[in-house]
Amino acid sequence: MTLRLILTSMATAARRNTSDRSSVLVNIVFFVVVASVMSALWRAAAEANGGEIVGYSVVAVTWYALAAEAATVSLNMRMIELVCDDIASGAVATELLRPASVLGVRISMAIGAALPRLAVCCAAAAVLGPIVGGAPPRALGVVLAIPALVLAIACNLVAQHAVAAAAFWARDVRAVWFLYQKIVFVLGGMVLPLQVLPDGLERTAMLLPFMTMAYVPSRLAAGFIEPELLLLQVAWLGVLLVTAHLVFTAGERRLQVVGG
Amino acid sequence: MSVIAATMRAALAEAWSNRSAFWTQVTAIVLNDIVWIVFWVLFFRRVGPMRGWDGDSVLVLLAVLATSAGISFGILANGRRIGWFAADGDLDAALSLPVSTLAYLLVRRVETVHLGDILFGVVLFAFVGDPTPARIAVYLFGVAVGVAVLTGFLVLTGSMAFFTGRTTIGDMGFNAMMILSSYPVDIFVGASKVLLYSVVPAAFIAAVPARLIEDPTAADALGGVVAALVFCVGGWVAFSLGLRRYTSGAAWTRA
Repeated sequence: MTLRLILTSMATAARRNTSDRSSVLVNIVFFVVVASVMSALWRAAAEANGGEIVGYSVVAVTWYALAAEAATVSLNMRMIELVCDDIASGAVATELLRPASVLGVRISMAIGAALPRLAVCCAAAAVLGPIVGGAPPRALGVVLAIPALVLAIACNLVAQHAVAAAAFWARDVRAVWFLYQKIVFVLGGMVLPLQVLPDGLERTAMLLPFMTMAYVPSRLAAGFIEPELLLLQVAWLGVLLVTAHLVFTAGERRLQVVGG
Repeated sequence: MSVIAATMRAALAEAWSNRSAFWTQVTAIVLNDIVWIVFWVLFFRRVGPMRGWDGDSVLVLLAVLATSAGISFGILANGRRIGWFAADGDLDAALSLPVSTLAYLLVRRVETVHLGDILFGVVLFAFVGDPTPARIAVYLFGVAVGVAVLTGFLVLTGSMAFFTGRTTIGDMGFNAMMILSSYPVDIFVGASKVLLYSVVPAAFIAAVPARLIEDPTAADALGGVVAALVFCVGGWVAFSLGLRRYTSGAAWTRA
């Protein structure tokens, strides 16, 4: 899998996704609605607690919510279902004929599709944030949050492929996306800062890869300058890539043995 | 009416025919809904009561929402597909039948996974709703209002595809409604709150019914009835007007 192939796959998917203006509009509206709701909820929570909740001020928790939603709204949370469908239907067998890694092309295209949506969400957040909450608490936090958002969607998409590869063995694991999504909701810090969790659960969540998918960029956007979180994301991305590669390779071998 | 009832029975039988798939999907959505309980318990444990809502009242909201959304998306499942049918020209099969097209479409398909929402909502209300006969009656009234408003709104926004040729408005309406109705309406202030009682009537799906169960007032009840009537009639009118502009896609099976 060459760098050129990765970039070409990403660019193709990005072009395909931006050509449909109505879906871009839906994406913006969806982000604005969900980000407004979550930021309103947490602002109300902070205000009910004297202007601060688990160390986050009203402004910080607003930017936490905006970044968390950008990290998840930008990508297809039902990717697991789509990959499962392609594996279960045998459609993935035709991709094996290509002289390139099935997993590599799929992940590159998924990231390519997500990046324009991420850019749109970030632009919408830049407008929405100051209106509903105020300026970002720390400019450096926002600067760090941008690569963290890219790494977050990469970690999320790779993990979804690793989970979806179970379809090589089990007949129907599509419903797993429901559970995966909800794990990211809570243990990933998408709907609440991990500090809200009870101590034991918070420590557990910090040890799992889901925290790289929403919590890390959100924590940085909220003004907590913790650049080591970026290194943690890179490390988890490596682990997830290796896992997905191993599972997909084993699955492809099984598909060929059975006959696809 | 008997044709519509028979169509609904057939749709339910179809959903029930594959038992293992039925229970798998129902279990998955119930687990999904349980995560919301976890979220709200964690939230209020840390935050405490907020703008008149606490953990118990939000769980009642969740019970009403799950039941209403379960009925609307599960039993009246085509309500959210009206826009897709209109845009793709998929209504031919329904148009040939001697029954109301909209009524037939709404009951034609059961989305099994959302039947789990109904089960979850009823069980949750039984546990957290302090179900006295009076509260059960208000719960059922609130669910009826929620189903009527949600389905009417989805048909109304979905029918815009007859005029625009695109499903964008229906898709946005569905997403906005689902997100906005999942939270206590009082977290919003000013114009946003007015919006939730009018253009995007998410307040009437769960928040108003939940408030009615906890503290019944004539104003809330009347507001719910008016919203239900407005969006049911609005949905029906939009669909009827849109149908005059419908163009066949020569597709026969999807409706």
